[in-house]
Amino acid sequence: MDLFAQTLVNGLLQSGLYALVASGLALAVGVVGIVNFAHGEYLMIGAFLAWAGSALLGVDPLLSLPVIAVAVYGVGALTYRVSIRHVLLAPELNQMLLTFGLGILLQNLALMLLGGNTRTVSTPYQASSLQLGELSVGGPKALAFGLAAALLGALYFTLYRTTLGRQMRAVAQNRRGAQLIGIDVDRVYLIAFSVSCALAAVAGVLVSVLLFASPTVGLVFALKAFAIIVMAGLGNLTGVLWASALLGVSEALVQTYVPGGGGWSDAVFFLMIFGTLVLRSYRGAR
Amino acid sequence: MSARNVEGGTPVRAAPRRELTLGAALPLLAFLALAALFPFLPLGSRAEFLLQIAFFTLVAGIMALSWDILARSGQVSLAHAAFYGLGAYGYALLLKAGLPWALAMPVAALLAGGASLILGAVTMRLSGMYFAIATLAFTEVVRTIIQNLPESVAGGATGLLVPALLGGNSRAQYALAWGLLAFTVLVSLAVRLTRLHFAFAAIRQGEETARVLGVSIVRFKLLAFFISSSLAALAGVLYAGKTFFINPLETFSLANSIAPLTTSIFGGLYTTLGPVLGAGVLRVAEELLHNSVKNGYLVVYGLVLMLSILWLPRGLMGLRRNKKHGGDL
Amino acid sequence: MTAATTTGGALSPTPQGVEVLRAEGLSKRFGGLKAVQDVSFTHHQGEILAVIGPNGAGKTTLLNLLSGVYRPSAGRLHLGGRDVTDLPMEARCHAGLGRAFQIVRPFPEMTVHENVTVGALFGKPGQRLPKARERAWALLERTGLAAHADKAAHELTLLQDKRLEVARAVATQPSVLLLDEVMAGLRPGEAQEAVALVRGVRDSGVSVLFIEHIMPVVRDLADRVVVMDQGQVLAQGTYREVTADPRVVSAYLGTEEGLHA
Repeated sequence: MDLFAQTLVNGLLQSGLYALVASGLALAVGVVGIVNFAHGEYLMIGAFLAWAGSALLGVDPLLSLPVIAVAVYGVGALTYRVSIRHVLLAPELNQMLLTFGLGILLQNLALMLLGGNTRTVSTPYQASSLQLGELSVGGPKALAFGLAAALLGALYFTLYRTTLGRQMRAVAQNRRGAQLIGIDVDRVYLIAFSVSCALAAVAGVLVSVLLFASPTVGLVFALKAFAIIVMAGLGNLTGVLWASALLGVSEALVQTYVPGGGGWSDAVFFLMIFGTLVLRSYRGAR
Repeated sequence: MSARNVEGGTPVRAAPRRELTLGAALPLLAFLALAALFPFLPLGSRAEFLLQIAFFTLVAGIMALSWDILARSGQVSLAHAAFYGLGAYGYALLLKAGLPWALAMPVAALLAGGASLILGAVTMRLSGMYFAIATLAFTEVVRTIIQNLPESVAGGATGLLVPALLGGNSRAQYALAWGLLAFTVLVSLAVRLTRLHFAFAAIRQGEETARVLGVSIVRFKLLAFFISSSLAALAGVLYAGKTFFINPLETFSLANSIAPLTTSIFGGLYTTLGPVLGAGVLRVAEELLHNSVKNGYLVVYGLVLMLSILWLPRGLMGLRRNKKHGGDL
Repeated sequence: MTAATTTGGALSPTPQGVEVLRAEGLSKRFGGLKAVQDVSFTHHQGEILAVIGPNGAGKTTLLNLLSGVYRPSAGRLHLGGRDVTDLPMEARCHAGLGRAFQIVRPFPEMTVHENVTVGALFGKPGQRLPKARERAWALLERTGLAAHADKAAHELTLLQDKRLEVARAVATQPSVLLLDEVMAGLRPGEAQEAVALVRGVRDSGVSVLFIEHIMPVVRDLADRVVVMDQGQVLAQGTYREVTADPRVVSAYLGTEEGLHA
């Protein structure tokens, strides 16, 4: 039973990180209407910036986190200006392929500049752990979960309690209508897309502490984020939370209870994607 | 030719088709003839190296063209690496089981084609990004499965040794790759010139309309998957037999899905010449870059894909000014 | 999919003629909304049957039930004595149901001729490409599109697009052609040409079922009219009969359109 409880806790903690990555992706899908296949690459950029800050300047990733968030917000804004903006009205296929190309570009630029090795960040709290009764929780994991929860709280607060958030939701629901009542749609798009990138980068900082930084670290998180937003329904931000929890916990259960589960847990997201898509497409079938 | 639309509204699409003429096939034949003559050129001291680049250019051509055949039915797949890898692994395992190579090759292709029917059936009703995400995930899972099979079966994460194709004779290997590319070209032309063309194009351009007009989407979408994936598996066999050693990470690498997609879009979607031509240009560019940088040479594909979408939606084939030329093959 | 079953083999001529299409109690619910309720009618060989009704009466849903876009929640559909209720769209096409859409949907990357060829090639199983091309040509000539055969569909005028839509549906060799407001968006002169086109289709032996808003077109074209209101059949009969029916008049007066709009 303890093992089970421990597994549940581990899964839930992991899901905080997933929710952070996926909510950014969902924001871009929901507001801008773009499925950003390069989302994982902004995570990768965040992870590398955290590593660089730590290895070169000796700054703890948690301290550099706000700076990184702002920097990657800028990168996102630039991306929006030079590429995304030009395909907003193009067929879905073009949008998809454009962000896909962007992802390949960023990943390979990183490979070119930094090589394929993984870079680890060492922090004083890396090996720490919290004792909650019978359960033990890794310090960085708990920290990451706390940060993710705080950020998600801030995101939801912004979306539901501020003018900007209302504008975003208005644009998400009806672009033309939003335009007619005087909302600067282009600006809202820019902000939503950039925030989405910044969220990925923050997740990247956490990933650098929990795992490592590498040029390809983004892909697997992006894939899982896809699974989450597909399960939540494209652009559905609230659905992201429970879908992330489901993915995190399922993975943890597979890791604990399936023999050789470490290798198989990476396939859980795929079953979720397929399960959801098949179910949905056949329920939609008339 | 379509200039870039500021609104980005120019879809990735082909020009309306005109009646076909034989003249349209000439560039294709010229390309194949040049490729056939390549090993007989005085290649000097670097002959072996150049022949290897040329070999993988042919493999890239098979991959791009086979990807395009699937795309013609409206299925823009990110699972091509899966079938390439299944071809490579299928071939290696069949050889291990004692099959002669000449039998292992087609059987591996058919097995991969069969596996594609499973994916095709599941993704039948999906479109756009849902389809892309599902195919992307499929690749990752096939890799996970191969990697997690007992090491005695498929070599696990380390990989498998594969006996060299045709005893390692690089000219013979090149000839085989050429033959398989020529075969792929024939299949592509057959798809283009028969009723399959109308079925695929109709499904791509309006699935519901196609169904109302009696096009059986189940049959044709699966057929597209089967043809495309079997051909991709042949490319995988060539890869396995040429490199002697395959591992899950490289064989099922996303790059093997990206390259054919980019090559086909860059060369000209839904044509036969475009993807082959695109492979010729991009694979050489990749090799040149690979010579100067060790990592990240795939940046070419990212850049080319973005630029093609933004400025060249019809690819190289869209650059031709001679519109009287007849239908693109 | 299950194969269609024949019902007793009875294709008995009724007083109005031989039955081609028969709906029996067709219903379609979307959640709590009853879009179509218990709709029954019989369509006879060589007949032009109009389905009219105020906006929201369920006409388009009915057409989608007939062509197989939706599966009915209840009821059966018989085509030429065959139960086609459970057939998917493509199989209904093979069974003899053709459909033209209200909003024309040409295949954008094909020429006009290729568009029609798709219908000719796949409308019935076992067609050969050369033969299908020829039949497509013949149809383009009949529908006055031969001069535009090599154009892309987007180069056509709206009327030509509608002709293409009809030609492509006729190319599938239907026994019944379903037309969804083909007159929509046409100028009066063009509408007259479209009326002639539909008559021509009927004269070639295809029964036509059409949805229409424009009453003069219904009067000119329809042999019989089915009036729908709130998902149900309100009245059936000739144009004169239904327009004289007080229930029909009040259903229309209850809307902004008016009967003779």
